[in-house]
Amino acid sequence: MISEEEVKKIAKLSYLTINDEELKKFQNDFSAILDYVNKLKELNVENIEETANLSHSKNIFREDKEILFNSEELIKLMPHSKNNYLEVKKILNND
Amino acid sequence: MIDLANLTISKARQGFKNKEFTSVELTKAYLDLIEKKDPKIKAYITITKDLALKQAAAADERINKGTDSILTGIPCAIKDNIMVKGEKCTAASKILEKYIAPYDATVIEKLKEQGAVILGKVNMDEFAMGSSCENSAFFSTKNPHDLTRVPGGSSGGSAAAVAADMCVFALGSDTGGSIRQPASFCGIFGIKPTYGTVSRYGIIAFASSLDQVGPLAKTSEDCRLVFEAIRGKDKYDSTSSDFPIEENDINIKNLKIGIPKEYFGEGLDSIIKEKVNKALDFYKKNGAQIIDISLPNTQYALACYYIIAPSEASANLARFDGIRYNELVGSEKADNIIDFYLQNRSLGFGKEVKKRIMLGTYTLSAGYYDAYYKKALKARTLIKKDFEDAFQKVDIIMGPTSPILPFKINEKTDDPLSMYLADIYTVSTPLAGLPGMSIPCGKSGDLPIGIQLIGPAFSENKIFSIADFFQKNYDIN
Repeated sequence: MISEEEVKKIAKLSYLTINDEELKKFQNDFSAILDYVNKLKELNVENIEETANLSHSKNIFREDKEILFNSEELIKLMPHSKNNYLEVKKILNND
Repeated sequence: MIDLANLTISKARQGFKNKEFTSVELTKAYLDLIEKKDPKIKAYITITKDLALKQAAAADERINKGTDSILTGIPCAIKDNIMVKGEKCTAASKILEKYIAPYDATVIEKLKEQGAVILGKVNMDEFAMGSSCENSAFFSTKNPHDLTRVPGGSSGGSAAAVAADMCVFALGSDTGGSIRQPASFCGIFGIKPTYGTVSRYGIIAFASSLDQVGPLAKTSEDCRLVFEAIRGKDKYDSTSSDFPIEENDINIKNLKIGIPKEYFGEGLDSIIKEKVNKALDFYKKNGAQIIDISLPNTQYALACYYIIAPSEASANLARFDGIRYNELVGSEKADNIIDFYLQNRSLGFGKEVKKRIMLGTYTLSAGYYDAYYKKALKARTLIKKDFEDAFQKVDIIMGPTSPILPFKINEKTDDPLSMYLADIYTVSTPLAGLPGMSIPCGKSGDLPIGIQLIGPAFSENKIFSIADFFQKNYDIN
């Protein structure tokens, strides 16, 4: 069984907050899922290579020049912008 | 009255050519039917009426001038994780509820070049995570064959829209079965193509090494026409390429069909088993050889998938921070920027999405990376090799698409594993990058049953003709 502390830590790493009710549910669900995926432990993978990508492509080259995107369209989608810049909350604090 | 229930791409083209109806008339007929029928089915999130009528008028002009292509004037539905410029694209998530796509996905650009008509954007499980459409942040879609049951997922809106005659074809996406399982549940055809044949540019990413876009339609032939239209190399997706798709010179008489014993084991519904076996008998009677095979690592596929897919998702979904997309909590309510991210992400993502982000974060985190993620990548190699070995002996692999019939709404929402187990026959195919198609092969009462065809990479044409032969010669009733 995965601990409440661990679930809280994973939530923090994931940039998510979870309430107490969710905490219990996630704890149970994670434990069930991890128990299931632990099945992989019985598999012998000695000398087996990893498959991270199935792309059949070889090297693809292109000219080294920028592709301009219509930035107005993107800025319009942002909840807050100022003078064509994305506006965000202060990142550096004094404390 | 246009007979929408039996309309296919070729029949619609015939109708245009013989002046029985125009694309505008056909589009209006679909929009009327959607207005009437969709409040019960709930397949559509957004109906793009203005776009559809404009496209239909342009299509009629092309048809009159004789400059039309295969899909000119054909009305379709698009899964809501595929971007259509100027239209909402939500991935059925609150965090993208107000997002307007600033450009077309490459598959949409290709449909537009052909002159297809886009009727709207259809429902799905949030970020394509789920097998029932119940994880949509907005509403559940109902199975047109039984409104108390799910249409499958995640492309449940796509499958339901096709099955309820609310479009000629639909685009979906498949990461672990998300085209094939809903196609099976809704009694239609759906194919997940070989990885890399269709561009993923403009698709809201779930798990990038698995995601692939494909068609859902009423016939194998329609799936083939749409696949031909959307496939090809795209400079914006480096995993895509113009791979030669084998010609199809299939003779059922010489066909070697592999039946993996692992796909007929414990947990398979007995009626599904019976109907799939009956379909296999049909191929046998027509001269095919049925060969028992084994895919020994099938038992590890689901575990492998539920490590790899969440791991990739946790990285792909990191971009949703409340700043560049929808903001659910104003920044004045947050103490600092981290708090702002936390509040927006926590409100914007649904339970299943949160669960998978956290699961992926866990399996990629220090101390667990080797035990889970690396191990899963190695297991993936073994699963892929199982198929390579099998295709030394057989031309195609067949088995059930889903171990269970379409289930009741809310039946499986509480147990995390029972929903995942519904993907047991479909997760191996994307792990190995192979094409897989679900085709209807019978019913249990009102509930459709699908048989799955899995081929070697780039064998789509072979799959289409094997499916087409079945559709034209087998009585599924």
